Amino acid sequence: MNGVTVVWTLVAGVSVTLAFVHFPVWLRRRGAWSSFFLSSMATGTAALAFCELAMMQARTPEAYATALRTAHIPVWITTVSMVGFMQTFLRPRHLWLAWAVVGLRTLSLLLNFTVGQSLNLGTVTGVHLVPFLGETVAVGKGTFNPWMVVGNTGVVLLGLFAAEAAVGAWRAGHRGTAIRVGGAAVFFALAGVSQSVLVFGLGLDFPTTISLFSLGVLLAMAYELSCDVTRATQLTGDLRESEQRMTMAAEAANLGIWVRDLVRDDIWVSARLRELMSLSGDGPATFERLLRAIHPDDQAPVRQALARAATGVHGGQFRIEYRTLSPDGAVRWLAAQGRVEFDAAGRAVRTRGACSDVTASRLAEGEMQRLREELAHVGRVSALGQLASALAHEINQPLGAILRNAEAAELLLRLPDPDVDEVRAIVDDILADDQRAGAVIDRMRALLRRHEFAMVPLSVHDFVGDVAALVRTDASARHVQLVVDLGHDVPPVLGDRVHLQQVLLNLLSNAMDAIDEARRSVRNIVVSAARDGAGFVQIAVADTGPGIPADRLESIFGSFVTTKPSGMGMGLSISRSLIETHGGRLWAENQASGGASLRFTLAIAAKEKTP
Amino acid sequence: MTETRPTVHVVDDDASFLAAASRLLSASGFHVKTFTGAAEFLARADADAEGCVVADLHMPGLSGLDLQQALAGTRNPIPILFLTGHADVASSVRAMRRGAEDFLEKRAPKEALLEAIERAIARDGVARAARRRQRDLQDRFDKLSAREMEVLAHVLRGQLNKQIASDLDISERTVKLHRASIMTKVGVRSVPALTLVAREAAVSALPDCPKGQ
Repeated sequence: MNGVTVVWTLVAGVSVTLAFVHFPVWLRRRGAWSSFFLSSMATGTAALAFCELAMMQARTPEAYATALRTAHIPVWITTVSMVGFMQTFLRPRHLWLAWAVVGLRTLSLLLNFTVGQSLNLGTVTGVHLVPFLGETVAVGKGTFNPWMVVGNTGVVLLGLFAAEAAVGAWRAGHRGTAIRVGGAAVFFALAGVSQSVLVFGLGLDFPTTISLFSLGVLLAMAYELSCDVTRATQLTGDLRESEQRMTMAAEAANLGIWVRDLVRDDIWVSARLRELMSLSGDGPATFERLLRAIHPDDQAPVRQALARAATGVHGGQFRIEYRTLSPDGAVRWLAAQGRVEFDAAGRAVRTRGACSDVTASRLAEGEMQRLREELAHVGRVSALGQLASALAHEINQPLGAILRNAEAAELLLRLPDPDVDEVRAIVDDILADDQRAGAVIDRMRALLRRHEFAMVPLSVHDFVGDVAALVRTDASARHVQLVVDLGHDVPPVLGDRVHLQQVLLNLLSNAMDAIDEARRSVRNIVVSAARDGAGFVQIAVADTGPGIPADRLESIFGSFVTTKPSGMGMGLSISRSLIETHGGRLWAENQASGGASLRFTLAIAAKEKTP
Repeated sequence: MTETRPTVHVVDDDASFLAAASRLLSASGFHVKTFTGAAEFLARADADAEGCVVADLHMPGLSGLDLQQALAGTRNPIPILFLTGHADVASSVRAMRRGAEDFLEKRAPKEALLEAIERAIARDGVARAARRRQRDLQDRFDKLSAREMEVLAHVLRGQLNKQIASDLDISERTVKLHRASIMTKVGVRSVPALTLVAREAAVSALPDCPKGQ
């Protein structure tokens, strides 16, 4: 056995093996460029080893020259692959250095085939046979090719490139990698340059062993990649663990989770989300399919919220509540929140979201609101009920007039020569009375209607006037004078017309009851309004009743507190809650002249706030 | 001619109803006067207004019931009938007890309203005739002298001339003269007729004598 053949064949074998191991990795994962470069460099090294073997076994100058010239092809492959590997693996800062190395190596390759018999030796004049590793090997002798300087400059630059990349990796904290890969590459460059200068420039009787140095670099690189594989395995384990933790947390919180890749328009949803959105298990979840599962009224708001987040508002965060419709028609409220993620260029690339079922709390909220409105409605019905007799009278008045007018017209028309002017006047009166009866009914209906709270700017004159019109008949039948004294500079307030009328109706009705109780000769109610501070209007209902005992000024606003045989005892309680919903206050005072004064405040409608 | 004629006095604070009612009653052949309140009626209406009053029960200020009370105290208790937008039992009972002619809802059938007014006017006519006759008879008795009243009292007690002369301590002939004068002034020819007339005129001298004596 001779050593040289064994060693160089071994180098080629190891290199080919590395190429076989790493090339399929790149084939399966095209992003793994380091594996590609490793395999191409291994291929180059294997070829270089064969070329060096051929050089050593050459016995004529021609054979030696051919082998030496051919060797520059694998050297080019090896160098470019090494640069590529370090560029992708260590990411040095100076890309130009990499291009310079590649450029010089390519130029060297061109010169190698154009100037003289090879880049190193312009002409090979002979071979010295020298013993090496127990074998006789050939070492070429001839004229030195000055263009070899180009090749050596390239190798020196490669060394610099490797050193710079290693320093960068060191600084980034990858010290082992910096020493192993950077060190091997720098050694490769130094050794290569030294050997080519000694052998070809100074005529040292020693064969070239570049493939050995190259194998050293290859092994360092392969070691780093295998470390990566180990790290990836560990990361996979960690990832699985964290995923399990997240899934557990999500399940514990009953959260449905989704991730949407905006670039590939691909969406992943958790099983719980499918359940929440009532998506059937089969068929892939698509964004459009999820949107269709949302209540038709809520689809547009959800789209808008997501689109807004995708513009980067609030750091891409979104939060929205929406309904979904299950196939059986049940409505479910979901609260969703999440974040849109952006790439370095600021493009939205991914959306992550989580949502939970908030149906129960939504329903409870809705139920509370419904109960409040129901109670307010009952209050209005009861308040109007107390006025029923007066209101019937008020409606019968115009109806009676209509009837008598119609009868009169009928009689007039029976005459041979009817007075057309009189009949016309009658018809006009009938129309006017019809309007009058209609207005009473409209006022009542407005109060009796079930009603959803709506705050709008209201004229105090209007809503006080409407209630005064409702109450006036009852007041006059009870010999109570109702005075509405509002002044002209009372600004519009912000409120719900029906609820404010209800409050006023209740206060007026209480005031009349109080007056009946007092049995005094002065029987009047004064409704007044005035500005209260910068932002409020205060409305007061003052009566000439007996007043309210000082210790009951507050307790009268409790529930089921009544002094009347027919009262529910809810009127003032409901009124106070209605006024507080408006952001105002309702309270009771006694007047110096006797009698109570019930007062409430309302916010002035916004545009009036800053005159 | 200043002579009064049966008039329907409509009193209502609702101008529209007042006009409508006035039109219907005029078209139905009544003479109608309208008043916008009880106070206006009391101030403006003739003291001896004839016919009837149709008043709204619920009015601000003086109500229908107040008007009824005020009218009852006058020499001319003209019949009153009430209209109401909405009948409530308590006030209708009160009104009827105090002698309201009738109590109708504002939207009562026309026939009911007109009949009630006819009835009221008729009753007013009868009552007025009765009052006029009584006043006329009273006027006649008012012409009697004090002595003649004394004699009348005895005559109505059924005493003979002789007894009267003795009781009054005057001559029988003087009693005869007084009796003749009484017959002439009252305008009757016989003692039974005189007795009837005196009872009708509710003369204070009339003794409480058993009937048929």
